[in-house]
Amino acid sequence: MPIDSKKVIEIASRLPIESNERGIMAAFGVYAAMNYNEFFFKVVSRVIQMLDYRTAEEVEKKLYDAVLECGYHTFHGARTSMHWREYILPMINSPEDEVYALVAFTNVFGIGYIEVEELIPGQKLVAVVKNAYDPGRYMEEYGPQPHGRCYMFSACTASYMDLVYGPRYPTGMGTFVSKEVSCRSMGDNICRFIAERIKI
Amino acid sequence: MLINFNPDLNILKLNGVMVSLHCHHYNCGLVNALEEMEGVDVREIIIQAAAEEFYVNFKNYMQQHLEDKTVQEKLRAAADLYRFMGFGRLNLSQLNELGGEACADSSYYVTGWLAKYGRRKTPICYLTCGFLSGILAAIYGGTVDKYRVEEKNCMITGHNCCEFVVLVREQCL
Repeated sequence: MPIDSKKVIEIASRLPIESNERGIMAAFGVYAAMNYNEFFFKVVSRVIQMLDYRTAEEVEKKLYDAVLECGYHTFHGARTSMHWREYILPMINSPEDEVYALVAFTNVFGIGYIEVEELIPGQKLVAVVKNAYDPGRYMEEYGPQPHGRCYMFSACTASYMDLVYGPRYPTGMGTFVSKEVSCRSMGDNICRFIAERIKI
Repeated sequence: MLINFNPDLNILKLNGVMVSLHCHHYNCGLVNALEEMEGVDVREIIIQAAAEEFYVNFKNYMQQHLEDKTVQEKLRAAADLYRFMGFGRLNLSQLNELGGEACADSSYYVTGWLAKYGRRKTPICYLTCGFLSGILAAIYGGTVDKYRVEEKNCMITGHNCCEFVVLVREQCL
């Protein structure tokens, strides 16, 4: 039975992620910063609008890779933290539980609510997000998009699988690859991501 | 600073505005990815987006919380906001309506970039330039593009602190 996601979120949201007197926010082995969602939308969407389709895809691939690194390292830092060991690890009884816990843990960063729709152990994860910020803004500003714009959630979906089913950290990044198969920016009613093991 | 979190939607609001937390792998990776694209002036795009966001959001914050405060108190509140968001520590005391200089002895983008990529030869604190431009226009009045900000020295290139020069754009004088 999957772990209690609400409980994970409740525990994780109590974490003291705060900046120090020098304005630096160090947590889980990474440096975090809080920024306006609209800032990210403006920067990325304005760049994409300046580029041809192929170049825009290249940029989004690079951004996917940046988020993959972000997710891979941050979630690893989280799952090896004392807080995780004390409060969340006791709820985890299988690798699948860990996937559910990591997905739930993502739901404290303010990026929209991600949840598991389907998990095939070691092979495939389908995650969905109903309220990602960017798709609605793309529709408002630019109309329907030719492909999904949620590289952030897409990369997160792959990073969970990399960490849980890939080779031991830090060598497992890129074991899985994720694709956004539906996106609200294209007119779909939900954003859906499928991460699958890369076939060699 | 007022933080509100909705756990059912994973929505985080700072003073009523949607924000999110990201690590240096993404924040610096974003800058790096865009800088690699030919023909994209990522510096200008980041400065403009940051100026717009800090302008409108700090203006609203002042209207709600700082209406009877002095300019120096508003500048301190802006520096507090910057520190709270995790961007570093800024001294804004030498700024006035005509611009001036600001300095930072701690910078998120310098710290994050050093951790991820090491040193570079050019300044990296684009967001800070936009922040300064936005909050000054909000405090002193005028359009969002009233001020032009240049990072004269940056810790990423080996200086002791990041120094920013702020000027009023000619057409705004």
